[in-house]
Amino acid sequence: MYVIPLAAKLALALTLIAAGSAKLADTRGFASTVRLFVPPGLVPATRTVPVTRAVAGVMAAGELAAGCASLAVPRAGWLNWLVLGLATLFIVISVVGYARYRDRSCNCFGGLSRRKFDRRGIARSLLIGAGGVVATLPVPASAVRLSAADAILLLAAAALAACATFAAAKAVAAVSSA
Amino acid sequence: MIPATSAIGLTMVVPVYLEMAQWALLLLLGLLVIVMFRQLGRLFNRESRPGRATLVDTMAPDFSYLRVGDNRELEFPAASGQPTLIAFVDPTCPSCEELVANLGEVAAAGELPGFRILLLTADPPSYLHISETFKSTRLELGAMTSRETRAAFDAATTPLLVAIDPGGLIRASDHVRSRGEILGLSRAATLPPADSMIELKAVASAAE
Repeated sequence: MYVIPLAAKLALALTLIAAGSAKLADTRGFASTVRLFVPPGLVPATRTVPVTRAVAGVMAAGELAAGCASLAVPRAGWLNWLVLGLATLFIVISVVGYARYRDRSCNCFGGLSRRKFDRRGIARSLLIGAGGVVATLPVPASAVRLSAADAILLLAAAALAACATFAAAKAVAAVSSA
Repeated sequence: MIPATSAIGLTMVVPVYLEMAQWALLLLLGLLVIVMFRQLGRLFNRESRPGRATLVDTMAPDFSYLRVGDNRELEFPAASGQPTLIAFVDPTCPSCEELVANLGEVAAAGELPGFRILLLTADPPSYLHISETFKSTRLELGAMTSRETRAAFDAATTPLLVAIDPGGLIRASDHVRSRGEILGLSRAATLPPADSMIELKAVASAAE
């Protein structure tokens, strides 16, 4: 049954790629969500916007990088734990968001979706967390033994998917605000 | 490992992971197409719904709001005897911050003489700390006390600026941000009603 951990790993990697690239397409919108979690007074008022925008950019790029790495280098077991850590962070954020900013947009997929901080959001985060746990289960080395060429091709496909998601998120956001 | 035959007849062994990854990537691209179509469908539904355009030249509703600062609940009479601009804005929306900043600058420069300007947000006043622009604005800021107010002005998406003439008639309503757009929309609130315009044109042509 090693197919299940592999499927979970792939699903999480692709989710991270889609979410990261969609957020990168609308860092201003995602920065407004980041701002919700910055305690008042932590950052000087004049620096709030650039700081939160930078944090949003780094977070989005981090998600994208983690997704691409997890997809293209399946033998690296530590990446599974990194993804599980991210999933845990998502659970914490969705719970805190639900408690403090219920029904506000979470910008989880940039302009591509209208996901909110609600119970369904928590359920989705828990599902991602469960997927993260399943992805850490051991699989036979032969199932994930990729040649360098395979890894490069997967990375190229991931980059293509990221570009497509970025373009789609940009287009949807532009049309929505028109 | 899954045995597979290449186009030139060679038998290769494809790792299960690679096989699954190909399908997963295809699934992602398919999902992306579905999401785009859904979002565009929503947009077309919104645009085809009778909305902002039909609000123009109708009477604005009276409503109440909670004034930010002193938390007093105030009544807003649509026919206030002076031209009015109502901006529907939210502190978590970057475009709204742009509108609030530009509206503040235009008002401070005295380019909207005699206008009553009200910023209305659907968010609780406690959210205002996340936006420096909202915290520092000198314009009157109110929190909506009822969702019906937003619906009555068809302000489902923000920012939305509504221009109301002294008689309480909605003269223009649009998603604007820049100074030029604000001034253009505000001019509508000071123009005579459409009927008067027709009469004025008739008088002018008769005089010629």
